[in-house]
Amino acid sequence: MKLQSRSYLRYAVIPLLLVMVLFALPDGVGAKEPVKIGVMTPLSPPGATLLGKFILQGARMGAEYVNSTGGVLGGRNIELVIEDDSGTPEKGIAGYRRLVTQKGVSVIIGQVHSSVMIAVGDLAERLGVPIFSTQASSKTITEKHLMTTFRTHAIDPDRARMWLRFIKEIGFKRIAILAENTDYGLGLVDETKAGMAKMGLKLELKSLIFDKKVVDLTPQLLELRGWKPDLLIDIHSVPTTAYLMVKQAFDIRLFPSTPILASFDWPGRSEFWKNLGDKGNYILFISYYHPKMKLTERGEWFKKEYLGKYGEFPIYPAFNGFGQIMILADALNLAQSDKPAELITALEKGRFTSWNGLVTFERGEGPYWHQWSPPLMVLQYTRVNQSPKDAPILYPPDMKTSDYTKP
Amino acid sequence: MDSLLLSQYLIAGLVIGIIYALMAIGITFIYSIMKMINWSMGEFYMMGSYLQYFLVVYILGPHLWFVGIPISMAVIFFVGLYIQRFLLKPMFVGEMERKDEYATVITIAMMVFFRNLAVVLAGPNQFAPPDYASPTYIGPLPVSGNRFVALVGTLLILGLFYLVVRNTWVGRALRGSAQNRVGIQTAGVNVLRVDQIAFGIGVSLAAAAGALLAPIFLVWPENGAVATMKGFEIIVIGGLGSIPGSLVAGLLLGLVESMGSVLISPSFKDVYGFGLVLFLLAIRPTGLFGERQRVA
Repeated sequence: MKLQSRSYLRYAVIPLLLVMVLFALPDGVGAKEPVKIGVMTPLSPPGATLLGKFILQGARMGAEYVNSTGGVLGGRNIELVIEDDSGTPEKGIAGYRRLVTQKGVSVIIGQVHSSVMIAVGDLAERLGVPIFSTQASSKTITEKHLMTTFRTHAIDPDRARMWLRFIKEIGFKRIAILAENTDYGLGLVDETKAGMAKMGLKLELKSLIFDKKVVDLTPQLLELRGWKPDLLIDIHSVPTTAYLMVKQAFDIRLFPSTPILASFDWPGRSEFWKNLGDKGNYILFISYYHPKMKLTERGEWFKKEYLGKYGEFPIYPAFNGFGQIMILADALNLAQSDKPAELITALEKGRFTSWNGLVTFERGEGPYWHQWSPPLMVLQYTRVNQSPKDAPILYPPDMKTSDYTKP
Repeated sequence: MDSLLLSQYLIAGLVIGIIYALMAIGITFIYSIMKMINWSMGEFYMMGSYLQYFLVVYILGPHLWFVGIPISMAVIFFVGLYIQRFLLKPMFVGEMERKDEYATVITIAMMVFFRNLAVVLAGPNQFAPPDYASPTYIGPLPVSGNRFVALVGTLLILGLFYLVVRNTWVGRALRGSAQNRVGIQTAGVNVLRVDQIAFGIGVSLAAAAGALLAPIFLVWPENGAVATMKGFEIIVIGGLGSIPGSLVAGLLLGLVESMGSVLISPSFKDVYGFGLVLFLLAIRPTGLFGERQRVA
């Protein structure tokens, strides 16, 4: 009998206490539905999983930042719904459908591969939920002028123009391009040729295309060594095979006597020196971020918190994942709604503070539709184990901190 | 054509060809005994490379890298024994009957599982163990010390493998099982135990390739995919189940890729290998050293 009455007491008192606690909470806490933002990015092979990981880290910290500073739409939290597209268009399409029709997200960020973003962009236009390219750079993505497509990443023409200006300044004449057979690689070869014509540059150009999955580029590199270029532009979208290329170029004595310019900032990652050691010295690379750059207050917060959490400075994909959440938080507040159509209107009208400055999405010409480009620069490592923050900026002139160092 | 460049391509082709052969030999060895294709061979290569990295960086130190290779092989040998015992043996119903589709499903499932397990355990990052040796020259071709070590290591491992298969009791049992699975049982050999050993040896050869090539092709969750693809090209060229065929086909594939690159264009390097596969399938479907089999 005694045991039974204790059980009754437990069953009656605990729910009563819970109800009392709920009533005692301040208005809105636990009651308001969160705003759902999808993060669809490659988190498993064959996608660029490392980029996906960094973007997700940035987005998570972005949501933490927003939720800890009052949330959006009058106190609603941001909830991230994660989807892995494995870097393949078919999984991207299935993932987008799932996020929109089953999970009810208002917007999706995190796209890395141009092929996935192009495929998903058309579906997004039909279903009406906006999608952001976080690191997919093919100009086709924004050239289609889709209402639901947005991007805060550099596009191919800007990148090609940047290295052509750099080549002109240094005075290189024979340029070799080693490019992968993807939208990214082939697009950049075309943009380089178009840019040369537009700028009136008379360069000798030799381009070799390789399959994205090839791990032994010795035959291509041997041919280039015989051709004796002044500069080799490397266009890989996945750092793994880019590391292999640098190693192989070093082994056959092509690099560093012939400088290599990497088409994006993979040499800025912490594993660069671990994987390449002294073989990586003197590499040139295009970057969208330099640790000594002036950031916004939000950007500085992220840099500091990221360092505390992960023990290393954040790199660009993480910044961009974080920045897109900041933009969306501002856009949601501007729209006063989490409905996709109203969010799109707000994104087109507003000016948003990201990690590195003010961002707008205008209906620009050609690929500059709903496009915001980060600043581009050419960096160079000049000693082994050099930190990206000490890497000199060689170009553009207004950011330049040092001259090109010939190996 | 520049004769120096041509000789460099030839040597580069031979070096990569011998490395390809090591990637393929495990697949063909397992097929020759168990008559099944292990689609997860690349993942055992990947595990071998991770083990070698772990051993060299955290336990042995860079100077004892060569000790890591037999340890990686031994660990993967035992992993292979257990996988065969619990996942593949059930396909042999009543000792002899095979269910090929079962082996296909299981080994493809293992491929996906191990690849994603590596992402979960070690992350998507790439790792590189320290170089095994300093850069050197083979004739006129400057090569990395790692490639030279891989070349010598491959020849040593293949030589050792040949001696074991040729001169030991286990080797005789393996050869007998490859020739006639029913007949070998009349000599008192437990054919299912032989299968287990064959699977263990086959995957340990893949692990040896992974460990030897770790500083060349790096360590990451998908590094076995190329080994698998090249391995299957080689067994089609050399003949399924033929070990000498794998060696010859590996060299041939390396040379065709390299010479195609110099004579036509390096942009289509992989196409030349597939062209060779298609050509051989058209004129000799059993491969260079393969034999027609009677299917009951």
